[in-house]
Amino acid sequence: MKILTTRMEAHPSDSHTMERYLATDGYVAARTALTSMTPAAVHEEVKASNLRGRGGAGFPCGVKWGFLPPDTRPRYLVVNGDESEPGTFKDRQLLERDPHQLIEGIIIAAYAIDCHRAFIYIRGEYPKPARRVEQALAEAYAAGYLGRDIFGSGFDLELTLHLGAGAYICGEETALLNSLEGKRGEPRIKPPFPAVEGLYGKPTIVNNVETLSNMPWIVTNGGAAYAALGPEGSAGTRLFSLSGHVRKPGNYEIVMGMTFGEFIEQHGGGVREGREVKCFIPGGASAPWFTGDQLDIPITIDDVGKAGSMLGSGAIVVMDETTNVVAAAHSIVSFFAHESCGQCTPCREGTSWLEMVLARILRGEGRAVDLDLLLDVSDNIAPGLGWPPKMTTICPLGPSAVSPVTSILRHFRDEVAAMIPAEVPVA
Amino acid sequence: MAEWSSSSRVDKIIASYPDRKSAVMPLLYLAMAEHGYLPDRAIREVAELVGMTPVQVSAVATFYTMYKREETGRYLLSVCTSISCAVLGAADVLHAVEDATGVPAGETDAERVFSVEHVECIGACGGAPAIQVNYELVEGVGVEKARELVQWLRDGEPQVVNGDEMQALFGGQRSFDWGPAETAGAGGPVPALESLGTVGEAG
Amino acid sequence: MPDPVKVTIDGAEHEVPGGSLLIQAAQDTGTYIPRFCWHPRMKPVGMCRMCLVEVDTGRGPLLTTSCTMPCTDGMVVSTKSETVKKAQEGVLEFLLINHPLDCPVCDRGGECPLQDQTMAYGPGESRFVEEKRHFEKPIDISELVLLDRERCILCARCTRFSDEISGDPLIEFQDRGNYTQVLTFPDEPFRSYFSGNTVQICPVGALTARPYRFRARPWDLEAVESTCPHCSVGCRISVQSSQNQVLRFLGVDNEPTNQGWLCDKGRFGFEYIGSPERLTVPLVRGEDGEFEETTWNGALTVVSQWLGDIIAEHGPDGVAGLGGARGTNEDAYAFGKLLRAVIGTNHLDAQLDDGLNPQFLSAVTPRASIPDLDSAGTILVWGPDLKEELPVLYLRVRQAAQEGANLIIIHPRHTGLHDVASHTASYVPGRGPEALAALRAGSDEMAEARRLLMSEGPVVGLIGRTGYTEDPMLAEAVAAFVRDLPQASIMPLARRSNVFGALDMGLAPSLLPGRAAFASPEARSALAAEWATPIPESTGRDAAGIISGLTAGQIHGLLLFGADPVRDFPDQAAARAALEQANLVVAVDQFLTDSSRLADVVLPAEGFTETDGTVTNLEGRVQKVARLVAGPGQSRPPWSIFEDIAVSLGSSLGAVSAEAIQKEIAEVVPAYRGLTWEQLEWGPGREGVVIPTSAGEQPLRYVPVDIGVPAQTARLALHSARTLYDDGVHVRFSLSLARLAPGAYAFVNPADGARLGIADGALVRVTGAAGSADLEVRHDPTLAAGAVYVPFNQEDGGGIGDALEVKLEVLS
Repeated sequence: MKILTTRMEAHPSDSHTMERYLATDGYVAARTALTSMTPAAVHEEVKASNLRGRGGAGFPCGVKWGFLPPDTRPRYLVVNGDESEPGTFKDRQLLERDPHQLIEGIIIAAYAIDCHRAFIYIRGEYPKPARRVEQALAEAYAAGYLGRDIFGSGFDLELTLHLGAGAYICGEETALLNSLEGKRGEPRIKPPFPAVEGLYGKPTIVNNVETLSNMPWIVTNGGAAYAALGPEGSAGTRLFSLSGHVRKPGNYEIVMGMTFGEFIEQHGGGVREGREVKCFIPGGASAPWFTGDQLDIPITIDDVGKAGSMLGSGAIVVMDETTNVVAAAHSIVSFFAHESCGQCTPCREGTSWLEMVLARILRGEGRAVDLDLLLDVSDNIAPGLGWPPKMTTICPLGPSAVSPVTSILRHFRDEVAAMIPAEVPVA
Repeated sequence: MAEWSSSSRVDKIIASYPDRKSAVMPLLYLAMAEHGYLPDRAIREVAELVGMTPVQVSAVATFYTMYKREETGRYLLSVCTSISCAVLGAADVLHAVEDATGVPAGETDAERVFSVEHVECIGACGGAPAIQVNYELVEGVGVEKARELVQWLRDGEPQVVNGDEMQALFGGQRSFDWGPAETAGAGGPVPALESLGTVGEAG
Repeated sequence: MPDPVKVTIDGAEHEVPGGSLLIQAAQDTGTYIPRFCWHPRMKPVGMCRMCLVEVDTGRGPLLTTSCTMPCTDGMVVSTKSETVKKAQEGVLEFLLINHPLDCPVCDRGGECPLQDQTMAYGPGESRFVEEKRHFEKPIDISELVLLDRERCILCARCTRFSDEISGDPLIEFQDRGNYTQVLTFPDEPFRSYFSGNTVQICPVGALTARPYRFRARPWDLEAVESTCPHCSVGCRISVQSSQNQVLRFLGVDNEPTNQGWLCDKGRFGFEYIGSPERLTVPLVRGEDGEFEETTWNGALTVVSQWLGDIIAEHGPDGVAGLGGARGTNEDAYAFGKLLRAVIGTNHLDAQLDDGLNPQFLSAVTPRASIPDLDSAGTILVWGPDLKEELPVLYLRVRQAAQEGANLIIIHPRHTGLHDVASHTASYVPGRGPEALAALRAGSDEMAEARRLLMSEGPVVGLIGRTGYTEDPMLAEAVAAFVRDLPQASIMPLARRSNVFGALDMGLAPSLLPGRAAFASPEARSALAAEWATPIPESTGRDAAGIISGLTAGQIHGLLLFGADPVRDFPDQAAARAALEQANLVVAVDQFLTDSSRLADVVLPAEGFTETDGTVTNLEGRVQKVARLVAGPGQSRPPWSIFEDIAVSLGSSLGAVSAEAIQKEIAEVVPAYRGLTWEQLEWGPGREGVVIPTSAGEQPLRYVPVDIGVPAQTARLALHSARTLYDDGVHVRFSLSLARLAPGAYAFVNPADGARLGIADGALVRVTGAAGSADLEVRHDPTLAAGAVYVPFNQEDGGGIGDALEVKLEVLS
């Protein structure tokens, strides 16, 4: 069962064009919603679908919309296409291969929440997806699906493409709003949440690209049909990005419920060169790692959560037995240190400190005390080192850098310790 | 007031936001397309347009890695070193690019042909290791292909670089089926987008 | 006041205002939570994370920053749990890993929050063995402020202050993550009138002020609270000295006045106090025309002899007094008593023809206080550019506008507040009456302004003169309009520090001490009874009348008290001519100014920080000033100099100390009756005393009337107004500030420039009725077309005078 990738698989040569989109029932759902449903009815379908956000946090979409204060206008809808979590490239495919599906989803969502001004924020490193969206926007405006009086329904919607410029943190919704306001992409203190005080201080819904790409299907087939897909708590299909040491990396849309082992075998063709899975990241670089012993965990939001990690952005990174886990952890920690916005102390200082210590160990200059130091510095960013993490920081970026550190020290402590040279006795 | 900043494109960008300060990011791209990077002058021009002080604009410009405050080469080679690329040999690819261009990461050659940088995840994890040239993507680029790519740029000096063309010549494993090839590409180290006026046609 | 809620902090239940920030509520109930980024006068940002505590709102304890947490009922807070301790110590360690720990050579050492926290809670030794961040240190970011980025802990207090409070965001975070740094833009220094506040609120030694760098250690300083002497806002300050040298002023948070902030002129304008140019001994002009040093006895003998001669020959009306607006109320009172009761003249003025009707300034009703701005619906500023002349009042208006008050500004050019104004209007100098008529009628561009004033009260009108070519009666006409608006109150604007106190002490021909009218026979006889001496009956001359009287030979002797009419009288040339013409000029001053240089006798006075006393600000708020150091040489407090002159004339003021004079004021002066020195002592929550202005309590009732000021036209109209830094003595002898004076230019609208063929940068001769000056032209698109703006009292550029019409000739 596929929802998001049906069109691009059936029509690989032109799935992104208006012509193909219309030929495959495109904009029918939006027309139906705008001309024969009330906004509340659309909202009800989305609530009924149990669709959870696909950006990483997994918050139920319909519930989020319900947080909008009833009487404040204008409201804004901001589409988060700042996909930057290492391992994740699913939104890129949706943007590039089926931009009209997203635009139709935006029209439906905007209608449901009575919003007339929407923005798509696409990361700057995605010029091709952005070009496709830009082209699709022009086509949609030309066809009258955007702008004034859409489908003769009296509903107006302006939709603007905004290009990021190289900052992972802008994937955090409040940082994204600051960025869209022309500021540094620094996360805001929450509360207030964007639904109450978002873009330009107005109520704002921020939804991920994949989340909104589901809207046409939900309107066409009903929320209940969507909810019926997959196990409880993980409704619908989901597009997973598979990368690392697998034979066939790629994006795979599945109904959730199969195990990681099954997924890696069936879709990824197994590990390259017949090697074993040493460890894997189940949900993007922020997520704590699982080991080769945990391949039988089912791919559902709840099962992964119970096992102490998260499905996050839906990115599965597989590392085989040849992997130097310290180098891998260093790569991820250095990512977060580089992407820390710098405003809060524990993240700014702590992620860089972790990065420096790991780099020193990699250089062969580790000290025996460094292992506990790494854990204690981590504890000062994410007290208790549990999952989901407690935070001394403003946003979860700092604690994300802790995940690989605790992962390697929990699962591969001996391997890390082995990289520490023996203490040279002082003469 | 510089000529670029009084263009209709600028007006259109500013008009597309409820607050002109929101236009600072696209205008920084326009200024970069004009100057090749963001000299102080460009920052002042943007500040004037959006009603911010130069230091406020610079606060924004220096926050985002794609805004370059130093002169860059004609071809900006960005080698991804994040986790999926890292486990598939990104470090070797980076060394190959540094070696072939003679430019260490973070720097630009004297002739300003090449700038080399290692970058964090560019969303090409299924096609690791990956490189961008002026943000046009090539996936599945091994050490040898990376060297060939550099040589091709050096020899051919293409006016416009295009991901599909480079992928066909030097790429390997892709994150997904890219669909039909396009000729639109980038003429400089600014993402190629119609609304920025930065889209060129590869020859 | 919001409803109180119950919160439990470390086991103890407290009642605190609902919605107040936890960090503040905890502090107010006795629990100090450490912090670096939070500042009570700025919006919380929760960045440094030092104030993490555990808060349980029913869902279990959660680590959260107390600076961003509003108090809700039933909240249980732990500020000392193991989790909190570990988190706070962790944050402190993070802050220290890149900190240079150069405390022994750091100006902040000894009063550094980071150092204090580290001593109290910090780890004994560092676990950080990696290389620290390095930056070039320190770098100049302005003429006054230096930045050491290695010491910086990125709390953003400075960047937030300059954006949020002062509205000149010239420093900002640059770069990102671990490379984040505070910086200015190349060639755009942190040239803010308020930059010193960032030094004061910096929680480490990252920002230091040039005038104080390496001058003292905190533990060597003596301090006393006082009131800033630089303008009439009356900011509360801490004066700090070491070894009889005043070394710095710090802002003290006084809710109604400055809320902790100071302008840089106030903050760094202490340097003149220790200037080697200060007068130390009395000077008398000798036979050869040069000053000779003399003794106090020698000087007083000369004064009494010459004054006696003038009085004998021309009567007491042959003598006049100018000044008094720069001293204390006690000095002003003694000066007035000397002139009226001992000499017997009514020619006296604390203003120098650069102000407004004294009755308007001292007794307009209903009178606004500064806090009235916080609750105003609409604020009208029709007067001087507040940023230039009353900077901390500018901050308060700016804050009110940002909190949602409508702000209307009417001025011949853009003022510092234009960017936050909801409505602005411009007019050519001389055409103010027409602008007022348009505002009254709500015509055209004034329609929205009028609508706001009529419908969105309370209205506060800040009213003064936009410049010296403007008819001072225009302000009264504006006040007459504002007074009739719904819930309106008026704040009259005059800038010189204690001008309101001096007027309250009767230093104007139309006033008697205590806001009593000279014209009132009852007031005169009451005062005469108190002083046990007759009060002269003849109508006195104001500053303009005194200057013209000197020139015309009708006045022969002039007492100057801290007044420099040669620089401050709008028609400087006329003032100079008058002083040159006088038979006798006695100057009580701290410096040889352009005026006292023309005196026959110069008596060295102690001044601010050297004398005790009281001052009165533009709200009518009486506050104390305090002595911390001794004046140089033989200088004496002004009131005692006046007493000595009185004695030398065979009389006495009965003045034995400032406190005694204050007691006399409290008995004699109607508006100040009953005020005590003790009431004015500083302390937490002590905010000075505002002299009541309500009917019945205020002897003088001044009700503005629309005086029907005629509009004047000129082909080119002069706009002459002050900038914060100019060539006044206090700036000139505060060396750090002296070089910040912008200098004189002729600003013209570019349209006029095109019409008259005057390029930006051209040299022109500006000629007015009084004379001319050769100035460089600067195009200013915010200036009304048809106007020429020349900043007043710059090093060059004097002599044009204050007549409206000017001519421009292009020289090159």
